[in-house]
Amino acid sequence: MSIIETTLIFAGSPAAVILLVAGAVYAGGSRRSKRYRPGRPFEFTPVWFLAAPEQVAEVAGRSELTAATRPALTGAEADKEWPAEAQVHEHATGGASDRW
Amino acid sequence: MTAGETAPGLSGQRDVLDGPFTTRQLLRLDEAMRLADSSTGLTFSVYVGDLEEPTRSYAEKLHSQLVTPPTSVLIAVSPNQRVLEIVTGPDARRRLPDRTSKLAALSMAAAFGGGDLAGGIISGLAQLADHAGRQ
Repeated sequence: MSIIETTLIFAGSPAAVILLVAGAVYAGGSRRSKRYRPGRPFEFTPVWFLAAPEQVAEVAGRSELTAATRPALTGAEADKEWPAEAQVHEHATGGASDRW
Repeated sequence: MTAGETAPGLSGQRDVLDGPFTTRQLLRLDEAMRLADSSTGLTFSVYVGDLEEPTRSYAEKLHSQLVTPPTSVLIAVSPNQRVLEIVTGPDARRRLPDRTSKLAALSMAAAFGGGDLAGGIISGLAQLADHAGRQ
């Protein structure tokens, strides 16, 4: 084998493979990852799911729940649902909170 | 399928697809919510996004905006604040005591801590629906 052939086989082909793999990695990395990773900032649009969307028609008709318009959801209409403080205590909501 | 956050239409669906879930996860979530709703007769809803401080009262506010708050259960997850709030209406609370909610919250928080948002929500929904029993 000539020196050129030897160089091509033993240096050229590994280099080609390395370039191919690196190219594949960077091509995939440019896409935004959809995964949530604890500790990393979470920059997705807020979403609100219901099995039957018509049940939240009131909210859907009111406004979009995007980050910019979200405060509208907590407007006056929201407070009208349970107006009296006493009533709120009488029909107290339950549930639980947790952190991770 | 999803209430998304907007009125029915393409834009709402696109926003949901821009969310943190893949299409496959959205389908699983939808299935889990439909099952939970139809088996218990309660209304389950899931909110994923930032909650204003204090998070508890903000979650309760969101809950009160559902059509039938007394029989509704809201699972509010804020990945940025690493907070999870489960809000049950007065009627739903009778079938889902706070202890049960706390148990579901613990297992959901464990999944979220591992970075599995969709898995945590789906298992939490299943757990809550199981405890609430048939309608």
